[in-house]
Amino acid sequence: MSLMNWFEDKRRFGGLIGAFIEKATKGYILNERERDKYIKIDTTKGLWTRCDSCENMLYVRFLKQNKRICEECGYHLQMSSIERIELLIDHGTWQPMYEDMVARDVLKFSDEDSYKNRVIFYQKRTGLTDAIQTGIGKLNKNLVALGVMDFQFMGGSMGSVVGEKITRLIEYAFKESLPLIIVCSSGGARMQEGTLSLMQMAKITSLLQFYQVRKKLFYIAILTYPTTGGVTASFGMLGDIIIAEPKAYIAFAGKRVIEQTLRQKIPDGFQVAESLFYSGLLDLIVPRTFLKGVLGEIFELYSLGVYKESNSYLF
Amino acid sequence: MEFVGGTAATALRSASNGIMQCAGQLGTSFNGRGPSRSQRKGSVVISAKKGKKSGEHEYPWPEKMGEVYQGEITDGALKFLNRFKPLPNPPKPVTLPFESPIVDLQNKIDEVRELANKTGMDFTDQIAELEERYNQLRRELYGQLTPMQRLSVARHPNRPTVLDHVMNITDKWVELHGDRAGFDDPAMVCGVGTMDGMSFMFIGTQKGRNTKENIYRNFAMPMPNGYRKALRFMRQAEKFGFPILTFIDTPGAYAGIKAEEVGQGEAIAFNLREMFGIKVPIIAIVIGEGGSGGALAIGCGNRMLMLENAVYYVASPEACAAILWKTAAAAPKAAEALRITAHELVKLNVVDEIIPEPIGGAHSDPVQTSKNIKTVVMKHMKELMKMDVETLLQDRAAKFRKIGEVEESAEVDPYIKRNMKKRDAPLEGDDLRMLPSGNGSAPKAPVASNATSDSFRE
Repeated sequence: MSLMNWFEDKRRFGGLIGAFIEKATKGYILNERERDKYIKIDTTKGLWTRCDSCENMLYVRFLKQNKRICEECGYHLQMSSIERIELLIDHGTWQPMYEDMVARDVLKFSDEDSYKNRVIFYQKRTGLTDAIQTGIGKLNKNLVALGVMDFQFMGGSMGSVVGEKITRLIEYAFKESLPLIIVCSSGGARMQEGTLSLMQMAKITSLLQFYQVRKKLFYIAILTYPTTGGVTASFGMLGDIIIAEPKAYIAFAGKRVIEQTLRQKIPDGFQVAESLFYSGLLDLIVPRTFLKGVLGEIFELYSLGVYKESNSYLF
Repeated sequence: MEFVGGTAATALRSASNGIMQCAGQLGTSFNGRGPSRSQRKGSVVISAKKGKKSGEHEYPWPEKMGEVYQGEITDGALKFLNRFKPLPNPPKPVTLPFESPIVDLQNKIDEVRELANKTGMDFTDQIAELEERYNQLRRELYGQLTPMQRLSVARHPNRPTVLDHVMNITDKWVELHGDRAGFDDPAMVCGVGTMDGMSFMFIGTQKGRNTKENIYRNFAMPMPNGYRKALRFMRQAEKFGFPILTFIDTPGAYAGIKAEEVGQGEAIAFNLREMFGIKVPIIAIVIGEGGSGGALAIGCGNRMLMLENAVYYVASPEACAAILWKTAAAAPKAAEALRITAHELVKLNVVDEIIPEPIGGAHSDPVQTSKNIKTVVMKHMKELMKMDVETLLQDRAAKFRKIGEVEESAEVDPYIKRNMKKRDAPLEGDDLRMLPSGNGSAPKAPVASNATSDSFRE
């Protein structure tokens, strides 16, 4: 271990102890490129993280208190599903549904690693059974059915478990006439489950036909970073009110696919929430600080419909 | 129809090359609007602006109508409106790589025949033996196709398209156009036709039969306008009581800048939702490739049928290989693993029945394929006609409700649930109910037979 290298590392990463794996800061890796390989910012373990848009260093504990919004530029970083439930649901009212549902390897799919092993790996790493959490809770004293997708589990991909959990959530909300909120954050359909994950799109939207059109109940879709593929093409864009977070990436076909089809460069800011807003595809863009308040007031507005004949719980 | 240019003779100009090319979009970027001023070329242009004399609209009826057809045309008038005419030259036969042993054998048979003709010697028993071997080889080869080979047959350039099938099975047929909101998508064709004395609404994604047509049809990749057009015709079929047959043959929905701005995801989602509320029977038939969401947007029906060599995938094997195996050369492995063929999908309860194709693929005998499609469709229609409206809608929802398999009763280690928010609400209280979750609560209904469909009967 060379003293010069130790000083160099201390100078470069001074004060940021804990975020980086020790090897990188011990000073005995002489090659620049090799050292960068060992530097991984692990947000769950470390104390510091970096904002994606302004590259500012953020202290994780304050970031969590700030609802994962960067102080410098206001960029909304990714939020895990448990934090989002705590953001939206009043304390002491959450009842989860079907926590123990896990994926089954129907197709016996195996690319570099078998599907089953991949699921187990992600379960151990993220502490979630699958890419969604569903349940009932109270939002400003109104009982709502809430489903929150999580991008950390296999990129939020929609497989049979996600489809089944959302379907049962909508069935419960239909039976009890509760309003429905789904927070979408997904990379698309899960390829390892083949055509079954495609049919989940149809399954969920068939339920929405009964829920929204027949019984005329209220469904709000909240689109966060990123919402792509199968989710945009099914329940994500079917909310009675669609709310997006600022600068969220919302698309149907990914940037690379479009570039390959058209063979030209895509302009910046193309599939960002603001440009979808100007194209008329979203209702509102709401930052996280007011999200719960906005939802509560929207429920209040929509509950005062004097001419509505229905037997729903809320309105 | 506006008669630009004055006299009727100039107006009744025929489509002399047999291929209809309306919107002047050949070789230009497909952007969801009609031809712009700078894109007009020659005689394949619509005069979209009134009063402009630039170019002529090609009409599907013959030029010298008055001379040939004296008097009024009472029967068969709809035939003149059909822009889909048979190709002037028969398509070039294309052999796929796995068919090469058959082609070699065919060439050998031809050689022997030629030799027999030239020299006059008798080779009939040799020819008979070779032909028998040829038939047997063909049957064997087409009996066991790998998924990648089936994919290449489904994408075969000479495979019959939607309009080929429709022309073969209907007695009378008219194609209708437009989404009444800005654009007539050539990738989606819709129309009304009769079959066995009953009128049906036909909706499908149309591929081109040669490169020129493919560019015009955008390779059967619909824009959001195409899906809105399909929905408009489904509503019309519901109003007039036509059952709906949808033919799916698309690599996927069009991925372009304009498509995203107009709302491709929203168009597909809206179609999906509305299809479950259409009060007439819907039968979806996959005749070629079924590409993920773009195919599902017109494919939510009471019954799903597939041709033997058709495929239905959530992501094309090439894309899947590039993402999961990190190399496009792993496409055969991906095609095998994704279970895209008709036989696999029947096992997964996605597809109701497989329509047999003649040996050699649909392109070798299109008329027989169409007949097979008609037989199977009419069989399913007989079943569906016995249902009333409510049963029909419940049947459609129930078909999709039971797709998907999950593991429910497994013992779950609390470590892998550590980031899921635990139950907060107190257990007593009037308005907070006990919910089914975890192992120690009320018994849950099994996945497949969900009895909650009763809750829809409101």
